[in-house]
Parts: sequence; structure tokens; C-alpha cells
Amino acid sequence: MAETEKDPAEKKNRFQNNYILQAWLCISLALIFGISLAAVQAALGPVIIENKLNETKEKVPELLLGSETAQKMAADNKAFKITPRSIAVEKNGIKKFYSVFEARFEDGRLGGWVTKVDGQGYADKIELLIGLDPAIESITGLFILDQKETPGLGNKIIETKWRGQFAGKSTGDHLKVVKSGAKVANEIDAVTGATISSDSVVTIINKTITDLRQPLKDAGRMKKE
Amino acid sequence: MEDAAPAVHVSPSPHIGSTSNSTRRMMIDVLIALTPAVAMAIYMFRVYALIHLGLCVATCLAAEYLFVRMRGKSISLNDFSAAVTGVILALSMPATAPWYASVIASAVAIGLGKIIFGGLGMNIFNPAMVGRAFVMISFAGAMGAAAYESGAGWVDAISQATPMNALKQSGTWTPIGDMFLGFTNGSLGETSALACLLGGLYLCYRRTASWEIPAGMIATVLVIAGIVDLVGGHGGRLILHHLFGGALLFGAFFIATDPVSSPLTPRGKAIFGIGIGALVMLLRFLSGYPEGVMFAVLLMNAVTPLINRWTIPRTFGEF
Amino acid sequence: MADQPTPLERFIRGILPENPVYRQLLGLCPTLAVTNSMKAAITMAAAVAFVLVCANTVTSLIRNLLKPHLRIVVFTLTIATFVTIADRLLAAYMYQMSKTLGPYIPLIIVNCLIICRCEVCASKQPVFTAISDAAGQSLGYGLALASVAGVREILGTGMFFGFRVLPATWPDWAVMVLPPGAFITLGLLLGAVNWYSGRGAK
Repeated sequence: MAETEKDPAEKKNRFQNNYILQAWLCISLALIFGISLAAVQAALGPVIIENKLNETKEKVPELLLGSETAQKMAADNKAFKITPRSIAVEKNGIKKFYSVFEARFEDGRLGGWVTKVDGQGYADKIELLIGLDPAIESITGLFILDQKETPGLGNKIIETKWRGQFAGKSTGDHLKVVKSGAKVANEIDAVTGATISSDSVVTIINKTITDLRQPLKDAGRMKKE
Repeated sequence: MEDAAPAVHVSPSPHIGSTSNSTRRMMIDVLIALTPAVAMAIYMFRVYALIHLGLCVATCLAAEYLFVRMRGKSISLNDFSAAVTGVILALSMPATAPWYASVIASAVAIGLGKIIFGGLGMNIFNPAMVGRAFVMISFAGAMGAAAYESGAGWVDAISQATPMNALKQSGTWTPIGDMFLGFTNGSLGETSALACLLGGLYLCYRRTASWEIPAGMIATVLVIAGIVDLVGGHGGRLILHHLFGGALLFGAFFIATDPVSSPLTPRGKAIFGIGIGALVMLLRFLSGYPEGVMFAVLLMNAVTPLINRWTIPRTFGEF
Repeated sequence: MADQPTPLERFIRGILPENPVYRQLLGLCPTLAVTNSMKAAITMAAAVAFVLVCANTVTSLIRNLLKPHLRIVVFTLTIATFVTIADRLLAAYMYQMSKTLGPYIPLIIVNCLIICRCEVCASKQPVFTAISDAAGQSLGYGLALASVAGVREILGTGMFFGFRVLPATWPDWAVMVLPPGAFITLGLLLGAVNWYSGRGAK
């Protein structure tokens, strides 16, 4: 018998065992699902990006001006013009990108900077917004976007009373956490019983300011010229 | 069906009748041994100690009664085990802990710590420590290190920092004599090293507590604290702080020796004690908490079945 | 096949007699992970319901085309698609909630409840039966999540759906909001349900 000749039964068998033909349902489903997912992404992607930016944008006036002035500003129907920027900082040969929001008054005057950073807390990542004045000389405000610290202790970092300590602190010195009764200008009272959470926040802030001080000053100057 | 065939139950030999080591006898021993610590707690913290002792014992007894009835078993109040849990729990509370902390801790200790596993003898974890851990995590603000120094009362000791916390946070040393006798702040029953030693030695003498556990625990703490002391050049003060300052002695004699949740063999008990001692030091030095006896005991309770398996005695001739 | 349950029976079964969590012990990961507040639990239950109903419908529609040895691939493909859609929808319209639920929405893909329903019901039953089965199971799952979350939120924060139900002096049982609280609550509730249905059987 010649090798090229096969009996019909074996031929049919081989046809049925063909992997591609067996998987036709998987392949076509994958194709349909893929296309529909692409459509969903195309429709919702911009909304999601907008959400992410809004999360920060909403907080910008309060972070830069304090809640009272921010409310007044909203009542006067004025708003900051906010431009999201990405600032690259190179440290030890590793490039790191900071997401920075440049806020300008309606007349074009620089209102300040807000940066979104995260770092390790006691339980999980802590995500912060830090407000800085136009000259990067002092912190204007702090907001905790996301945290999973211990309820009752560490999660007190979100309270206005604790966050409020940061407003007006100079960026010149590194901030330091003390147990209680902060006296010197660069000291921050720890949340009672949650020294680690307090330390984490301060560490993130110190690191961010060290990294961003110069680049932001440069960026501010460049715009002026 | 059961009563159709009258059954005579004969257990395998040896048939030695002895009432001296029944549960009830053991529990009464523990209560006697706790007397010095209770007396010291009442002397130091006055009405605070009475409130917590009363609440804890009453709630433990009530919870035992209620939960045992729910399971449809015969009431087991008169073996005193619930009362002992209550006293130990009360003595491990900070004086200014809120009243509901004592009540919840007691109910959790008996309910989640003991009955849910099948009652006395079946529990994996030390019931009193389960209850305490529950409220400690729940009411961290009212139970944690800061709560000890709330200074809410007319009892002087309460406004001081506990020796362990003072050392950890500000490096302040407490006079050794005060710590030994118990004139410091701390959980109700832990302040006096002397009271714990007296009660503990009685328990060991009566064989109600196995000496291997406290010996292993204290020896390990001495060794680790000794090394740190030598390296840091503290001249022995650090060792004494770790020995007398916290809940170590109270935990070693009254908490870790719980016969249900500790290993069976002498070798296993020694390993158990050493493990607790090492964990206590690890928690004291490296964790956010100034004290670590509670978590150390609970962690070692969890490995007790494993220790039992490792140290199972071999029958002669078998390998 | 005379004693096949009707679609209505299937729907009712999902609620308690064959409750996914309390009877089948399926989908426990979200039951433990996202039940520290009612809002999160209900959102999670809704996402699971969406995925389950859609996946069951699609599976039921193509049930005659399935090759036995490739069916799991097809199920997973279907489920993953709908989970991705649910995830994107949440991120677009409930951004804060999607941040709170974090990885647990994508993890619905590996929720065994869904593949279980595809396998035992949708791949063998007509569309209407499959949908009513999915709806019953989703409702049962939602009730289970809500029961755990209700206990945890009330004891842990004194609130229910973010509204204060216990007096402000209520000492929050922080442990209930933390992971151990999930295990304790689920264990006790499971015990209670078993005890209750055991009593009914006698």
C-alpha cells in the first residue's frame, strides 16, 4: 500500500483531532470577547483617567489655601487652572516619576503645587497628596487619599486635627515625629499609639520634598521666564 | 437504647484512684496561688482591681453557664475553671480599662476561647489570652500602652508609665526594688514580681504547674536580655527590667502553664517555654508593643500540637 | 430526568437551601475580604451577580457547541471577559468603591461559585433556567455577604450602610473590621445556620 493513500475513516479521524478545528469555539469566542473588551475600554478608559485626575483636582484648593479660603473661592465661582505634569527625578541612577499638579489662579499667577505620592505604611501602602506653596518653601496642606492602617489607632492619620499639623511647616528642615508636645518648628506629634503610621507619613513627605524641591523650583522659574 | 444494656466501664490499667489531681483540685490550687497577686493588685489599684475582678469572674461564670447550657451539656461551674479564667483575665487587664472591655473579654474568653472548641480540655488557645487579645485589638486606644498612663484616678501608680513602656519609649529606668515588690504601674496582677514568684513556686511545688515551662521561659529571657544587656553595657539593669518589669513572671507561672493548651511531655514543655521566652523578647525589642507575653503565649499555643508530635515518647525497642 | 427542578425551584434553592456561602462554602474569599462595610459587600455582590448572570447566559447559549475537554477554557474565557467589564464599569462610575474593593473585583474570575454554576447548571440547561439559577445563587450570595457585613459593620463601627445605628458612645470593636473579625463572624454565622437548619430537620 502506498503511503499517500489513507482510508477515509482515518482521514476523518485526523480531521477531527486537528487542534485548531477543535478549538474553533474558543478562538472565535476569544475574538468576540476581545473586540467587545476593546470597545468597553475605548468607551470607559477616558472616564477612568478623568476619575483619577479628579480625585486629586478636587482637593487642590483646600490643600493649597486651607479649607476656609477654598470654600470662599468656590463660593465666588473661581477655580484653579490645574495642569497635571510628570516630573522625573534621577536618584542613584534610577529615574522616578512624580505626578505633580500645577495650580494657577485664573490670572495665570502660580498658586502652588500638589503632588501625589505613596509609600509603605504600617499595614499597607499609604497614598498622600502634599500641597506646596509656589516657592516650595513650606507645606500648605496634607491629605490622605488611601490607607489601610489599624482602625482606632493608625487610621487617625486621616483626621483633620493630625493632618493640620503639617500646614505651614518649612520644607527646609526634615520633619521629625515626637511622642507628644511638639515644640520645635519641624516637629510633628505622633498619633497616640501609632508611632509607626505617623513615622511612615513623615518619611514619605521628607523623601518627596527632598526629591522634588529643586526640580519644582526649576519648573516654576522656567514658566516665569 | 443505652439503658437496655447495663454497662460496666472499666478503663485500661493502671487503676490508681486519686482525687488529688482532679480538675477541681488543680483549679483551687491555682486560685490559692493567685492570692498574693490578687492581694497586691487590690492594694495597688484599689477599687479598679475590685471592679475588674468582679466583672471578669462574674461574666466568665455567667458565660460558662449560658454556653454550656446552649450545648446541652451538664453544667460545669463547680470545677472552678471558669473562675480561674476570670481571675487571670482580670489580673491581665490595665487598671483603667473600661468596664465593657472586661465584660467582652470574659465572654469571648469563655465563648470563643473555650466552649466553641468543645469545652475545657479541648481548647487550642489559652482562653484568658484569647479574650484579652480580642479586646486589646478592638479597643487599642483604651487598652494599649497609652491607656496604662491615663492618670484617671486617685491611685498614684496609674499615672506613671509602665516600666516596660517607660524603657521602650523614653529610656527611663524604674527602680528595681519597686518593680520587684510591685509599686509600679502595669496590668493589675503583673506589677509585683514577688507575688507572682510566691504563687508560682507554690504551683510548681504542688505539681499543678509544670516547672519546665516557667524555667524555659525565664531562662530564655535571661539569656537574650543578658546578651543585649552586655552589648549595650547596661550593667544588669536591662535583665532585671525584662525579668521583673512586665508580665513575664505572671505569664510564666499562671498563663503559659495552662495544662490544656501546653504540650504534654516534659521535653515538649521545655521547648514550649523556650519558644515563649524567645517570642517575648522578639516582641519587646522589635515590635510596636512594649509587652509581648500575651501574643507569645498565643503563638506558642498554636504550635503545641506540633511540639506534641515531635516529642512523642518512643516505646522501648521501637524506632 | 423527571425530577428536574423547575427554574423557580432553582431560584429559591439558591437563596437558602443551596446558599453558595452557607451551604456550599463557595466564594469565601470575598466573603472574608470585603465584608467590613455594607456598601462594599453589596457592591461586591452586585458585581458577582452581573458576572454570574452574564456568564451563565452565554454558557447556556453555546452549551451544544461545547467540547467536553475544552469546556473549562471556554468558561474561564467568558467569566474573565465579564469580570473585566464589571471592573471597568466600577472604575468609571464608582471610582472610590473600585479603589476600596481593589484587587477583589478582578479576583471574581477565580470565584469558584461562578465556574461551579456554569459547570453544573448553565452548560446543561436552557437559557431561562440558567438565568433563574444564576439569579437565585447571586441573591443567596448577596444575602450571605450582607449578613456577614452587617454584623461586622455594626459591631466594628456602630454604623450600618454608613448611618449611625448605635449610640455615639458605642466603643467600636475594631477587631471586627480587621481580618480576624471576618473569620470569627463567618464561623459563628455558619454555625448558627447549621444549628438552625439542623433543628428544622428534626
